[in-house]
Amino acid sequence: MDATQSLRYFGPELVLTAAIMAVLALDLGLTARGIERSRWPGIVALAGAAAAIGSAVRLLRVPAREWLFGRMLVFDGFSVYFKVLLGLALLAAVWMSLGSREVRGQPNEGEYFTLLLSSGLAMLLMAAAANLLMAYLSLEFASLTSYVLTGFLRHNRRSAEAALKYLIYGGVASGAMIYGMSWIFGLTGSMDYAGIAAGIAQLDDPSRGAFFLALVLVLAGFGYKVASVPFHMWAPDVYTGAPIPVTAFLAVGSKAAGFAMLLRFFHFGVGAAGPVGAVTRVPLLQLGTLLCAATMTLGNLAALSQQNMKRLLAYSSIAHAGYALLGFVVFADAGVQAVLFYLTVYYIMNLGAFWVVMLIANATGHEDLPSYRGLAWRGGALPALALAIFLFSLAGLPPLAGFVGKFYVFGAGVERGLIALVVVGVLNSVVSLYYYVRVVKTMFLDEPRAEDAPVHFALNDLAAVGLLSAATLVLGIRFDWLLARVETARRIFAG
Amino acid sequence: MPPGAPLTWYLGLSAVVFAIGTVGVLVRRNIIVIFMAIELMLNAVNLTFVAFARSLGSMDGQVIVFFVMTVAAAEAAVGLAIILALFRNRETTNADELVTLRWIVLLPAAGVFFHVFLGRRAIAAVKVVGPGLVGAAFAVAVVAAFRLRALPEGGILRDHVYTWIAAGPFRADAVLRLDALSAVMALVVTGVGFLIHVYSVGYMSGDRGFARYFAYLNLFTTAMLILVLADNLVLLFVGWEGVGLCSYLLIGFWYEKPENAAAGKKAFLVNRIGDAGFLLGLFVLVWTLGRHGFWTLDVAEIERHLDVLRTATIGGWPVPVVVGLLLFMGATGKSAQLPLYVWLPDAMAGPTPVSALIHAATMVTAGVYMIARLHALYALAPAALTVVAVVGAATALFAAVIATAQTDIKRVLAYSTVSQLGYMFLGLGVGATGAAVFHLVTHAFFKALLFLGAGSVIHGLGGEQDMQRMGGLRERMPVTFWTMAAAGLAIAGVPPLAGFFSKDEIVSSAFREMPVLGVVGLVAAALTAYYTGRLLCLTFLGRSRLSHEAEHHVHESPPVMTLPLAILAVGAVAGGFLPVPALLGHRGEAGAPLALMALATGLAVGGLWLAYQLHVVHPAVPAQVAARLGGFYQLVRDKFRVDELYDAVVIRPLFAAADVAARGIDPKLIDGTVNGTGMLVAATSGVWRRLQTGNVQHYALFFLLGALALLGYYVGR
Repeated sequence: MDATQSLRYFGPELVLTAAIMAVLALDLGLTARGIERSRWPGIVALAGAAAAIGSAVRLLRVPAREWLFGRMLVFDGFSVYFKVLLGLALLAAVWMSLGSREVRGQPNEGEYFTLLLSSGLAMLLMAAAANLLMAYLSLEFASLTSYVLTGFLRHNRRSAEAALKYLIYGGVASGAMIYGMSWIFGLTGSMDYAGIAAGIAQLDDPSRGAFFLALVLVLAGFGYKVASVPFHMWAPDVYTGAPIPVTAFLAVGSKAAGFAMLLRFFHFGVGAAGPVGAVTRVPLLQLGTLLCAATMTLGNLAALSQQNMKRLLAYSSIAHAGYALLGFVVFADAGVQAVLFYLTVYYIMNLGAFWVVMLIANATGHEDLPSYRGLAWRGGALPALALAIFLFSLAGLPPLAGFVGKFYVFGAGVERGLIALVVVGVLNSVVSLYYYVRVVKTMFLDEPRAEDAPVHFALNDLAAVGLLSAATLVLGIRFDWLLARVETARRIFAG
Repeated sequence: MPPGAPLTWYLGLSAVVFAIGTVGVLVRRNIIVIFMAIELMLNAVNLTFVAFARSLGSMDGQVIVFFVMTVAAAEAAVGLAIILALFRNRETTNADELVTLRWIVLLPAAGVFFHVFLGRRAIAAVKVVGPGLVGAAFAVAVVAAFRLRALPEGGILRDHVYTWIAAGPFRADAVLRLDALSAVMALVVTGVGFLIHVYSVGYMSGDRGFARYFAYLNLFTTAMLILVLADNLVLLFVGWEGVGLCSYLLIGFWYEKPENAAAGKKAFLVNRIGDAGFLLGLFVLVWTLGRHGFWTLDVAEIERHLDVLRTATIGGWPVPVVVGLLLFMGATGKSAQLPLYVWLPDAMAGPTPVSALIHAATMVTAGVYMIARLHALYALAPAALTVVAVVGAATALFAAVIATAQTDIKRVLAYSTVSQLGYMFLGLGVGATGAAVFHLVTHAFFKALLFLGAGSVIHGLGGEQDMQRMGGLRERMPVTFWTMAAAGLAIAGVPPLAGFFSKDEIVSSAFREMPVLGVVGLVAAALTAYYTGRLLCLTFLGRSRLSHEAEHHVHESPPVMTLPLAILAVGAVAGGFLPVPALLGHRGEAGAPLALMALATGLAVGGLWLAYQLHVVHPAVPAQVAARLGGFYQLVRDKFRVDELYDAVVIRPLFAAADVAARGIDPKLIDGTVNGTGMLVAATSGVWRRLQTGNVQHYALFFLLGALALLGYYVGR
């Protein structure tokens, strides 16, 4: 499809681009008039994100599956589903930023929201990229904006240090990935995923070894984006150093976009050529199993001893990447479906947890566990209750959304016969219960001490948290509609 | 590109470039170079793309090159911006505290390295660098003090150098802290220390160990500054031990003479006894706080958790009293109080400027400073404070009595120091912390001056120290005489010189709290005036009793020595007008009653007059008095024979026990255990290592190792 026709399927991206321009222009105008602080950039950004979601939701009903822009992007149910999810993540991040003391105190808020929206736009492109060039560019676009967002707290050394580490690590990871991509291009003679799938079939034996090397490098690059072991090491530092809304956005949005790329490339680029192992003799299944088990285990074990809530949630999010990888390892439509479902649930509960952490950081100025002591008994009953719901859901306890998510992922694994991996996953859930419950215990069972000041929360600050905790509860019971959505979204356009 | 070169040629080249880039990322230390290495990796990618594109006849590969280059440029730009932000951060937000405080300590420390490694070859440079660095530290301290003054009252400058210990719940950071108290101390240590360094250049000229001497002196200053600026007691202890070590090194500086080495050893050992108490006190403190969940020894944290300490007990004893007494035990060692004062008089064995440094600016004030620092803790333990006051008063009197009968000029001054420190502890004990620190400051001026003046006399007489063989030096050493006279009047407490104000505040506070101790203080003050007057009269007035060779040798010291004397004299005269107590926020203590001031002045003048009568007008009388006193005079002259007592009661039994330990217990039990443990650790070490190091290059290495492991898994399958 040529460029003008493609625009019809490009609504969310266009809306976001317009919103970016609007925030930029608004910021220029405000600066010219010497206005330092204003709510307007944030409000415009919020409206832009909402409009993008609206546009994406409208596209959900379009059944077409097309190449866009000369085989650079694709339009299919899979990408639209991710666009809605990423749009929601962006919306939440903007909303969080509006209420975050960390962000609101900074100069150049307009710049911040511009970068946040740009990062969101890049992630939408990642979800739809079906060409090595587009994949690389959108991934780098998202990374570059994330680096700057991470280092946004200019007067905070931790923030700048995290940004620098993120940048160096990201530079090396994407360098390795693009090197692998260059070999894939050379071996298959094609840049778009359909061409690559066709090219793989014609590989001769020695080329297959080289192809595997390239594949490992690409997998490492994607692994960095979803923060899977052993490519996760940037995550704890970056999550701890970045402002909380950015951390939440990275943990939810960046991870989802990374999974979109991972699934599309391996299932429908490399995998579309036929049963994976048979054609390429690439042991993707074993590789994936290894990564998945290591990610779950290491993330949970490292989270056990954390005292800083952001760092604890960082390791927890690594562990959750592991659970989602289990769906990836299944290498079938059922697996894709489970991953989509899991990422959605993960979006709700993880975002909620970060949101409460931000509210408490706003109120107390601290992010470490001791400052949560007796939170429920000194004015923070509602946020404490919400956080307890999110954490129990993250641990995967039954009546909550997290349980359903894990159920589908593990179910897909059992169906595929990956019993050992599922056992590892279940054991990990048990381990994770320990550190989640520890936080709940600190909030409810520990007595507040004399030096723990009472905290106050405005009700409208709690609105979003209330919404998310309600969603966590409801999705634990009524999830059939989401399953139906996922069912239609899982079919990926293969050219 | 040669047109006919095969594809593999390019691929090989690009692989090599990529590998070089990877290695660069992993091993280079400079962040800019790391970025260049990443660019190198991306260029290798470009090369592969172009090579493949040419061999495939496809344009796609060449298009992507442009994008990769653009991304690379963007990455570099963002990276540089973040680096800039990092650096700007370092200069704006924390810079004030960050830069200044640590330099106060680092400058003298740099001097140590200079003297050790370069000193012997560049004596001339040592002469400049040694005092210069301490002077620079003084300048930094002055700047920091001004910055502190700009803060609201009770403000603190902090400089977090690094996290030093993080063991489980316990955390000790190497944090330097400047508040009013530590600012006063830092200024005294660097200021008076600087003058002593300058003086030393003259005094030590020509000594074989010139560079070594300055290395020790700088190290001494560094340790004392760490002690003073430490934000937590663990770091304070480092400085505490550091000054102990340096005093050992400096007292035994001329180690060729066995009695000097013995004096150094004695100072070290006696200090160890005190330090054992100090350490025990720290353990009790950290254990008590830790039991309540506060694993810290930060001074500020301790003050925040006083409630916990107030009610805590250990073995039925209230913790504040136990901790207070144990820490005070450390203070009696370091600050030469009864019963651990015995090392200080012997410490005269070192070069005279060292005596000045130990007695005036550093070391001995450590105990006073420590208790002043923890006055909030001591306020919880009135019993411990009473002990401090009584010991202080007793020491003040005891040492003053001994000083009246000594004939060695430095020994008189040594006992005078012990006595004056007793005053400071008396002040601390009766709750007059501000007055005690005030006396510490004024004492630093006049005692440094007295020691340096004595050094000047000894230098001028070619090594003579016995006052019975001096006399009549006023005309021959005028600068030394007048400056020492000023210091003498100041220590005697003649208004309006420095000693008058600070001593009066202590004595009047003592009268308010414990009148008996106030009387003791007054008696000691009269004795102080007498022995100071005696020292001045015997040395400078009356007729000359010089030996024949000293008569030839006598001369005024060079300007490098007399100039510090003159500057210190200004401090000794005018130091009483420094607003030290007000600076420390203890305004209420000022203003002794007029009657007391008159009485003290009368005693001071009377003591001096008596000394003049006895030693200049009627020089025959003292001998008659001594004869009349008989045995008691002998006892005083022999310093109450305390050293002999300690020798019989402590030292001999200890040696006997040590013998047993050395022959029996050590080789079998201890060595066996240690070696066994060592083997065990060696066997298991390297198994457990922390992965999340915080170093991004380790992360990158881990990333690549991960990729390699995946590959290896495939290959070795």
